[in-house]
Amino acid sequence: MKKWFIFLLVPFLSGCSLRTLNPISETGADQAFLINLSFGLMMFVVAVVCVLFILFTVKYRETEKNKTDIPKHEEGNRTLEIIWTTLPILLLIGLAIPTIIYTFQVSNTDASSEEALHVNVVGEQWRWTFQYENGKETHDKLVLPVDQEVVFHLNSTDVIHSFWVPRLVGKRDAIPGKENKLKVTPNEVGTYQGKCAEYCGILHADMRFVMEVVPEKEFEEWLAKEQ
Amino acid sequence: MEFTFNGNLIIIPTDVIAGWLSALIGLPIVLYWITKKHYWSTIWDYATSTNHRKVGTLYILFSVLFFFRAGVDALLMRTQLITPENQFWVFQGEKYNELFTTHGTMMIFFVATPILIGLMNVAVPLQIGANDLAFPYLNLVGFYLFLTGGTIFFLAFFFNAAPNMGWTAYAPLSTDSFTVGPNNNFYIFGLQVSGLGTIFAAINMMTTIIRLRAPGLKLTRMPLFPWATLVTSFLILIAFPVLAIALLLLQFDRLYGATFFLGELGHPVYWQHLFWIFGHPEVYIIALPAFGIFSDIISNFSRKNVFGYTAMVASIALIGLLGLMVWAHHMFTVGLGPFSDTFFAVASMLIAVPTGIKVFNWLFTMRRGVISMKAPMLFALGFIPTFVMGGVTGVMLSSAAADMQFHDSYFVVAHFHYVIVGSTILASFAGIYYWYPIMIGKKLDDKLGKWHFWLFLIGFHMTFFLQHLAGLNGMPRRVYDYTYEDGIWTYNFISSIGAYLMGFSMLIFLWNVFKTHRNHKQAENDPWDGRTLEWSIPSPPPEHPFEKMPIINKRDMFWWSKINHEPIPTTENHRASPISKPTVQPMFLSAGLFILSFGFIYGWVWMQLLGGVMALSTFIIRAFYDERKSAYEKEEMENE
Repeated sequence: MKKWFIFLLVPFLSGCSLRTLNPISETGADQAFLINLSFGLMMFVVAVVCVLFILFTVKYRETEKNKTDIPKHEEGNRTLEIIWTTLPILLLIGLAIPTIIYTFQVSNTDASSEEALHVNVVGEQWRWTFQYENGKETHDKLVLPVDQEVVFHLNSTDVIHSFWVPRLVGKRDAIPGKENKLKVTPNEVGTYQGKCAEYCGILHADMRFVMEVVPEKEFEEWLAKEQ
Repeated sequence: MEFTFNGNLIIIPTDVIAGWLSALIGLPIVLYWITKKHYWSTIWDYATSTNHRKVGTLYILFSVLFFFRAGVDALLMRTQLITPENQFWVFQGEKYNELFTTHGTMMIFFVATPILIGLMNVAVPLQIGANDLAFPYLNLVGFYLFLTGGTIFFLAFFFNAAPNMGWTAYAPLSTDSFTVGPNNNFYIFGLQVSGLGTIFAAINMMTTIIRLRAPGLKLTRMPLFPWATLVTSFLILIAFPVLAIALLLLQFDRLYGATFFLGELGHPVYWQHLFWIFGHPEVYIIALPAFGIFSDIISNFSRKNVFGYTAMVASIALIGLLGLMVWAHHMFTVGLGPFSDTFFAVASMLIAVPTGIKVFNWLFTMRRGVISMKAPMLFALGFIPTFVMGGVTGVMLSSAAADMQFHDSYFVVAHFHYVIVGSTILASFAGIYYWYPIMIGKKLDDKLGKWHFWLFLIGFHMTFFLQHLAGLNGMPRRVYDYTYEDGIWTYNFISSIGAYLMGFSMLIFLWNVFKTHRNHKQAENDPWDGRTLEWSIPSPPPEHPFEKMPIINKRDMFWWSKINHEPIPTTENHRASPISKPTVQPMFLSAGLFILSFGFIYGWVWMQLLGGVMALSTFIIRAFYDERKSAYEKEEMENE
């Protein structure tokens, strides 16, 4: 049965097919890089702790032989303590620098050219509305041209929603009374899942949309078509 | 179920009916059992006593009861999520939202916080050689406020009005424009009442630790659990009033049409700031005491002193301080601007440094020790790798740009369960197994304890490990449904099985408690070959165990007195200490607040007045009547 097939397939595909780690934009790739970088640095920490943990618990566990031993008093060890204070600081600097760079980059949402496409994204309980510059309006379906910069203007008419296409780029909140912007350039044609990530009431789980990235020409035709 | 009453159509969902039925069947059975076993006098003794050990035991008892309630919520959620497009019972949409709201709120406010306060109550005074807490009456008041707040919140479900806005209560969803009905008023008043109790507990702990230590027990000689308690109390004193203010503003928005979080002048982001200025320190409020418990237990069961004591104390203080200034890392997707985002990102990363110091110090405490694998130590050992995994995902989350992908996904769900269950819940179990002889005078079965530990730990990792991947694959949190195409079925399926395993392990814990109490064997004194003062007295400790105060001249004094075969010297005189006299006033006060809260929740003014008068009159009664008066008069007569 097809459904069970999906169930069995997933563990083999995971790791290479996780949506957020397979982004279709530069910005998304930067974020995936940060995820991978922090994961690598942190796995080093986990490995060190686990090795010491296993070593000590195996070596020093109570046995018949040492049952009555009284371990020697030990205040501490300055050298060791300096090592495990400075080493994490160095690791964190390695993570902090790219974090700062990419955070500033992703926050720069001014269109870099006149040609950028502007889309108003309006969240409301429980559907998304996408308004294009020529007045075209769609619900729960976002169509974008490939390789063209797009600036989303996020807004909400009721509660807070969060605009998230996992394969495109990380999320931004759509907050009533505050316009948030998100700039991104999709570079791969295809159909992608979009979701609301901020809990927004009864049908939050169903507040999904579809994002289609199509070739430029196809997009122009679609945009010109009557609604 | 639907029926017409008085011309109104009334709809009662089947889960509420099931709740009422089990309550109506269960309650008489419990009452009958108590009567048959003649437990009423014991219950009354505990309910009115201001003795720190009894109040602490009550805190722990009710926290564990609430833990089961919130745990059942979790199991129901996991059952709904076990397959894609599942339709389990009534738990879709509204009902599912109520489940995760009550699960989160109860676990944080009515399980994690009070269970640690309970353990502090039991252990801290004895660890510092005090006879009782500085304000025993206030202590009982604090407990009753917690119980009342918890009960108000608990009852919401029975009126088919469980809160449904998430435990973070983000505005404007939490305002009356979007969530009508009494549901979320239960959240406001449940938290407001119990939060006040938590503040009282913090004041009590601070005063006790600063004023009532045994002679010679300088702060630099204090065990680490009292140290963690001291820092935690300061955090509570800073954080909880902010929550109280936020709740009050929300109450005005909901009940009286104010617009703090909505409209022209208000703004929804204000709520997020207020909530997280409270909410982030809260994370450390429930983590730091856990660190203290583990420090004591690891040192005890390795038969070694704590490695790097000074660094341990300094890092507790540093974590507490940094914990106060990282709240906006919960708000990286709000769009606060890159300067704010990077500041809070770097500040959050910094917390990893003192936390890392603590982890390595725990490991090196075990090095060259003799590690005895008893149940409390197993929980401490399970804590180290589990918590480190939660800690490193925390560092990953602090990277602001990457957090745009993590935020509000199952990755975050996995992260905070790793840190909270890994530290607080494992520490609570460890503490319960460790201090049970002090609480009750009996020792829990070690073999069952080990079963409990292994099943709980395996179930825990099964439940939460794969949620990291589900989150990275695009599963948002707080959804009751997903599709086959999402590719997260396997993760969720295994996760649900793990949750059932955790639930099963809790039944073993229950069985352990039941078995221990049926057995009349008393625990011997000093059952773990302890190091700190609480083991130098009989278990369970009598009231005022340190009438002649011990004179302390080094850390782990009790251990050294055993090694060197010389008893701890004591003072000639005893110190005037607070005494425990039974009192019903706190019960009366909390009854007043209970009525007051329901008056506000349903908007009945007569009930507000009644409850208000009852609560205020407690102050007047208290001003003219002190239950300790007769005892003090007797003492004065004797002295003359």
